Amino acid sequence: MNLPSKLLAIDTATKSIYLALLIDGKTVDSISQEGESNHSVTIMPLIDQLLIKQQLQLNQIEGILVGIGPGSYTGVRIGVSIAKMIAYLNSIELYSFSSLALLASCSESMNILSSIDARRGNAFLSTYQQTNGILTVVNQDQLTNLETFKAGLSEVHDLITEGMPKIEKLINSNLIYQVADVHALVPNYLQITEAERNKAI
Amino acid sequence: MIVLGIETSCDETSVALVKDGKTVLSNVVLSQIDIHKEYGGVVPEIASREHVKGVTLVFDQAIKKAGLKYSDVDLVAVTEGPGLIGSLLIGVSAAKVIAMNYQIPLIGVHHIAGHIYANNLEREIEFPCLALVVSGGHTELILMKEHFDFQKLGETQDDAVGEAYDKIARVLNLPYPGGPQVDKLSAIGQDRYNFPRPMIDTNDYNFSFSGLKSHVINFHHNMVQRNEEINNADFARSFQEAVTDVLVQKTSKAAKEYQVKQIIVAGGVAANRGLRAKMLERITFVPVYFPSMQFCTDNAAMIAAAGYFKYQKTKLVSDYYLNADSRLKLQ
Ligand SMILES: [Zn+2]
Repeated sequence: MNLPSKLLAIDTATKSIYLALLIDGKTVDSISQEGESNHSVTIMPLIDQLLIKQQLQLNQIEGILVGIGPGSYTGVRIGVSIAKMIAYLNSIELYSFSSLALLASCSESMNILSSIDARRGNAFLSTYQQTNGILTVVNQDQLTNLETFKAGLSEVHDLITEGMPKIEKLINSNLIYQVADVHALVPNYLQITEAERNKAI
Repeated sequence: MIVLGIETSCDETSVALVKDGKTVLSNVVLSQIDIHKEYGGVVPEIASREHVKGVTLVFDQAIKKAGLKYSDVDLVAVTEGPGLIGSLLIGVSAAKVIAMNYQIPLIGVHHIAGHIYANNLEREIEFPCLALVVSGGHTELILMKEHFDFQKLGETQDDAVGEAYDKIARVLNLPYPGGPQVDKLSAIGQDRYNFPRPMIDTNDYNFSFSGLKSHVINFHHNMVQRNEEINNADFARSFQEAVTDVLVQKTSKAAKEYQVKQIIVAGGVAANRGLRAKMLERITFVPVYFPSMQFCTDNAAMIAAAGYFKYQKTKLVSDYYLNADSRLKLQ
């Protein structure tokens, strides 16, 4: 995939905000800052700092990469809203990726289990195989019981729930997807709302 | 001065462009009402999902309708609260991106200030002014001596008036949103049931609707138990008369005590035809104004107008740390 030169990557699906600035395919700066429930307060000041350090302005960014979950609903909505707005306002390319794939990029192991807590023993999770820094999806993003899932794995997996992601690894692994219609992008929640479930019964 | 307003506090995604706090250049409202109707009320998680789905499209329609470019915008005003937190956050996040992208000052606006300033979109507010704020979340009497100066004279001690309307509508098996349905029914009914007028003669400007609500619900329940025939229109009318008697009486008393130049009614319940008629009929010593129907319900034009006057008055702008506050107080 031919990517624009100046890229901003955003992910807010976990308890950390991840931001990275890429120029000509290289990560020139990145941040992974933990903050329990105030992503909405800190994300724009962090983006501002990141840009100022490279003497860039937001409207000079040429492409946006955004994690669309699965993960914290409120968190991922903040990242997706911001990414959509930046892409829309500047008419630039928008690319999506799985927030679990981003988590997997923290690991150097061969077998990786990415997991984001979904309460009551459940997790948003997926597994990957890694060869020469290239990630391949083995089990797709799903919402399931973490212990049951782990028990069903035949090999030892590196369980990743936090860390310092490397967005370049996702790009090299072809795990980013160009968004055809910026307006239509929505988070990957992996499940309908409780109200919709109750109605269906 | 061109102000871009953003409102996402509940189930409406709205973006507007307003000149000098009064001239509406565009006001796009993406309503989710048909979605929430099926659940008998607003489902917060669904509301948040719909906001993120529609947000950029609403911006695009608003800027195109106004025939402007974002670089023409002088101020970004966004509802910072009160409201549903997940919904508010989408608007606040979008507002910060616009502000940063174009280096435009950003200002957070209280939702109720917005409802009050909806009145300025059609007729300039004159001071001192008394605002009766009535909605699903609010029942307040506010005295304004000048722009962006809010003195709360009284408020509901329990339920908001719109909340009581919704409960009564449910008892009568009317579809959501119930308030307009009760209003419509009451137009063809009689005030036969003589429901109580809570706090109508108290020496303050506070309200209480939970007692009336319980009384009306019990009354309905007892009639059903006794197999008595209930005339829904009469029932709705009797409830509406009780509520509006209290609202009009207290508003009238406050208007006299503070010798205001005008009364403005704000919020979703300002669209209630029974309330509008009784206000105009009983209060003749001072003009009473209502926003037109399109500006009674949640919209971003009112937020842009309020943002304009807040900026003129305080010159205080927010930084990128601006947070949404679901329980924000009006100051
Ligand atoms: Zn409102």
